[in-house]
Amino acid sequence: MRELVFDRRKVLAAVAGAGVAATVATRLPGRSRRENLVPIDGTRAAGKGTSGGRTAFASQDDSYARAAATLRSAKAPPTSAVQFASAGEAAAHTRPTVPTILATDDPIAHLLRRATWAPTPALATLVRAQGIDAWLEAQLAPETLSDGPADAAWAAFPMASADPATVRATIVPGSWDAMTYFGEATMARQIWSQRQLFEIMVDVWANHLNVPVPGPGGNWDVGPAYHRDVIRAHALGSFSDMLVAAARHPAMLRYLNGEESTRQAVNENYGRELLELHTVSVTAGYSEADVRNSAYILTGRTVAADRVPGPPGTFVYDPSRHWTGRVKVMDFEHDNASAAGGMAVGDAYLRHLAALPATARTVARKIAVRFVADVPSPDLVDRLAKAYLDNGTQIVPVLRAMFRSGEFWAAVGQKVRRPHENIVASVRALGFQPGADTQRGVDAFYRWTVNMGQRPLGWPSPNGYPDVHAAWRSAGAVVDSWNNHRLMLEDWAQGLVGPDPDRIGTEFPRATVGQYVDSLCLALCLQTFQPAHRNALIAFTGADAGTPAAQAGVAGMAKELIALVLDSPYFSLR
Amino acid sequence: MTGRTLTRRQVLTGAAASTAALGTGAVTARVAFAAGSGTGTLVVIFLRGGMDGLSVVVPGDDLHLAEARPGIAVPTSQLLPLARGFGLHPALAPLHALWKQGQFTAVPATSTPDISRSHFQAQDCLERGGLAKGPTEGWLDRALDAMSPGTTFRAVGSGAILPRSLAGDQAPLALRSLDELRLITADNFHDRTVAALAGLYASLDHPLAAEATGGLASLDVAAKINATPYQPAATYPPGDFGMGLAQLAHLIKADVGMRVATIDVGGWDMHTFIGTVDHGAMKDQLTLLGQNLGAFAADLGDRLVDVTVVAMTEFGRRIEQNGSAGADHGHGATVLLLGGGLAGGTIHGSWPGLAPEVRDHGDVPGANDYRDVLGELVTARLGVGAGTLGRIFPGHPYRPLGICR
Repeated sequence: MRELVFDRRKVLAAVAGAGVAATVATRLPGRSRRENLVPIDGTRAAGKGTSGGRTAFASQDDSYARAAATLRSAKAPPTSAVQFASAGEAAAHTRPTVPTILATDDPIAHLLRRATWAPTPALATLVRAQGIDAWLEAQLAPETLSDGPADAAWAAFPMASADPATVRATIVPGSWDAMTYFGEATMARQIWSQRQLFEIMVDVWANHLNVPVPGPGGNWDVGPAYHRDVIRAHALGSFSDMLVAAARHPAMLRYLNGEESTRQAVNENYGRELLELHTVSVTAGYSEADVRNSAYILTGRTVAADRVPGPPGTFVYDPSRHWTGRVKVMDFEHDNASAAGGMAVGDAYLRHLAALPATARTVARKIAVRFVADVPSPDLVDRLAKAYLDNGTQIVPVLRAMFRSGEFWAAVGQKVRRPHENIVASVRALGFQPGADTQRGVDAFYRWTVNMGQRPLGWPSPNGYPDVHAAWRSAGAVVDSWNNHRLMLEDWAQGLVGPDPDRIGTEFPRATVGQYVDSLCLALCLQTFQPAHRNALIAFTGADAGTPAAQAGVAGMAKELIALVLDSPYFSLR
Repeated sequence: MTGRTLTRRQVLTGAAASTAALGTGAVTARVAFAAGSGTGTLVVIFLRGGMDGLSVVVPGDDLHLAEARPGIAVPTSQLLPLARGFGLHPALAPLHALWKQGQFTAVPATSTPDISRSHFQAQDCLERGGLAKGPTEGWLDRALDAMSPGTTFRAVGSGAILPRSLAGDQAPLALRSLDELRLITADNFHDRTVAALAGLYASLDHPLAAEATGGLASLDVAAKINATPYQPAATYPPGDFGMGLAQLAHLIKADVGMRVATIDVGGWDMHTFIGTVDHGAMKDQLTLLGQNLGAFAADLGDRLVDVTVVAMTEFGRRIEQNGSAGADHGHGATVLLLGGGLAGGTIHGSWPGLAPEVRDHGDVPGANDYRDVLGELVTARLGVGAGTLGRIFPGHPYRPLGICR
C-alpha cells in the first residue's frame, strides 16, 4: 500500500540543494498541507509524540539512525561541506568538529579505520610513506596490488572457488558446505587481503544486492558463484553492470522468486525489491501498478532445470514465459511487443533504473552511511550522487568524491564497528596469520559471527545487514565481544599462526607501566587513551604509571591488558 | 508522564551511575513498581515478512476464500473451531488448547492507514507507532518512557538486532542469549577486569557507554540466574525462537523486573508454495509457531496470567493466490494474542468479510487499527493511562476493542 500512500501524496519537489529540506506536498483525504521533511542530518528531529519529527525514511538504516538524538554517535553531524582536489588535501584542511575520544589529529588512522577492516601500525607507516592519495588510488585499482597471502588463504577453501557444476557434482544437493566455505573464504580475504577497500566495497554490495549465503532457498549450488561473478566482479566497476548481472543470475532469480514469475502467473517479489531496495528506494513514489509492471518486465528470466530444460542451475531467458504488451514503470515506458525481445527490454529497464537520480541517491547514501556517518549530511549525499550520475554509474568516482569530501575527514569517531567487523578487526590487530589449517582457524571466527547474528553474507532478508549503530545496540553483544577478545588470546583459533602477546607493542617504548599500557594502545588502536581511560588500564595492573614495567610484572598480564584495549570504546569505533 | 518522577535524562544517568556501584547489589532483583504502573510482562513477537492471516485464523465460512485460493485454502472441515465463523489452522493445535481456556484470541483485518505493501515501510511504520511520518522513536520506547523506571532487565530485546520498536532513549537490554551476560576471565582477574571495563566506559558521551554499562550492570543478576541451568517446564522445538522464548520464560520466573520483551520470527514472506493444510511452508511454519508458543505457555504455567503475548506482522497477504501457489503482499493482517488478562471465547474486532466490494485493492482491508490493539495492551498490561496513549500513538483517537478483560 505504499502506492496507496503515493496515490494520495504527490511528491512535488525533490531535494533542492545544500542543506535544504525536501519539500513534499501531501494530499490526504480530508486535509491538505505542505510540510517539511526532516533534513537527512536530523537536525530538526523533535521530541516524542509531538507534532515534530515527521519523517519518511528511505531505508532501514535511515530510520534506525534517527530513532533518537541520544542514539546518534554524533551529536551534530559534520558539516564540512567542501569538496577538495585530492583526498590528501581534504585530510590536511579538515578538522573534525564533533567531539570524540579518537585522536582528531591523525587523519591516516581515521582513513584506515574506514577504508580497511582494521588498521595496523605497519599499514599506517605504509600510508605515511606513500601518501594518502597514492595509497587510495592503489586501493581503487586493486588489480595492481599483488595479493599472494590472501590468494593462498582463499585456496584453503577449495569449495569457495568451485563453479556451480562442480559444486553440484561434489556435494549432496541442498548441503550448505559450498556456501559456508564461501563465507569463510570471504572472511579470510577481509582479514588478509591487501585490497582492503575492495573487500569493504564487496561487503557493501553483497548487502545491497543481498542473496544470503548460506540462506534459505535453493542457492546451495549457485550462491557462491553469484558473489564471485556479480558482486566481486563489479564491486569497483559500474553499478549498472552489476544490476544487469544480478538480474541474469540464477541465485538472485531463485532468491526473489523471479525464476517462477511468468506471464500467466506473475510473482511480484523481485520486481518490487528491485525498485525498493536495489535502485530508487521506497521514497521514490512508485505505484502498485509500477511494481506490477516491474515484475512483468522481468518475466521470462528463469533458471534451467528448475523450470525449463537446460544445464542445471544456469540462467535461461524463456520467451514463452515473458509477459508482452506495453509496460510503464514511473517514467520508463516500452511497447514490449515481442516475447523474443523481452530480455532486451529488461536490460534497458535495469540500465534506465541504474541511471536515475533516485538510484544515485540510494547508492550515494549507502556509501556515505558506510564510510562517513550513520546520518550523513544531505549535501554530501547530493555530491556523491552527482559523481555517480556524471560518471555513468561508475563506483570508483563516487568513492574518490567521498574521500575528497570535507565530511569524510570531519567524521572521526562517528561509526561503530558491528559484531562481525569487531571480530575481523581484532584478528587483524592481533596479527593472526594463515597457518597449517587455515580453514579450521577461520571457521572458529566464522562461528562467532554466527553466534553474534552477523555471519558474513548471511542476512536472511533482501535488505542486507543494517549499517548503523542504533540497530546493533546490545549489551549482550558488547559483553560477547569482550569474551571474544579473551578467547582469541587463548589459542582458540587452532590452525592459524596466533599472536604472541609479549610481542604486541614492542616497537614502542614501554619501560614504565604507563608506557607499557600506551604501547598496547598504540599497537592496537594507533593512539594513546585519554587520561581517565588510561588510568583504568593502569589501575588494572595494581601499580602506578611510573613504576618500572618489569617491577610491576605487567608482562604477566599482557593478555588481559591487550584484551582490555580491544574491549575499549577506542577499538569499538570504526 | 503519569507516575513519572524522573526525566529520561535522569534515567539514563541513573543507569550509568549504577555501574559505579557494581558488585554492591545496585541492581535489585525486583523493584517496587509505582502505583498504577501495572504488573507483569508484555511480550511482543514480530512475525517478519507478512504472515498470511487467511491461512491462520481462517474465515472458513467465507465462500470467497475458496474461490480465490483453489490450491492453498485450508479446508473448512479441518479447521479447529473458534468463533464468528473463524477456525484455526490445525497446525496450531497448541493454541487451540489455550483458546479453550480463554487464553488465546485474535484480531483479523488489522492494519493502520499509513502502511504500505513494502516490508520495510510497513514494519517501520508499525514499529514507530503507526504513522508513516510520525515520531522517530519506536512505540515501545515511548511506552517505556510513559512508565515508571525499573531494573536493567526492564526491557529486553531478544536477538542480534534491536527491533525498531525499542529504538529510542530507553536503553533496552538487547541480547541473543543470557549466556552472553557472563564475562569469561580467569577468577583472579574477574573483579579487576570488571572495574577496568567500567573505567574504560566512564565519562564517555557515546551510545556505546549505555550498552557497556548495561552489560556490566546485568552481570551480577545474570550470574545468579545462570548459576543453575534453566530447566523449562515444557519442551521447546529446537531453534532460535524456542531458545529465545525459553530465555524470556526464565527471566519472567526469575522476577528480574522485565516488563517488555521483544522477539522476532522471520520466514513469513511466502510468495511461493504456501502449500496445503498437510504439506508446505505454511504448515511447517505454523507447526513451529504453535509448538513454540504452546511450550512458552506451558513453561510459564501459572505465571502465564502475568504475561500477555502479542504476535504481529507487517501486513497480510493478497486474497488471491499467485502463480507460485503463494500470495504476494497484501494489507489487513491477523494479530495473535495469548496469555493472561484476555477476554477469551471470541475473535475480536470488526470483520467485514472478503467480498470484492470490501477489499482494499484486492486485499483484506484494515478494518481494525493496530494502535487500538496495542493501546489496549499498553494500558491493561503496562498500566499506562489511556490519557497518555496520545503520546505513544500520536494523532490516533483510541477506541479499545475489548481484547482485555
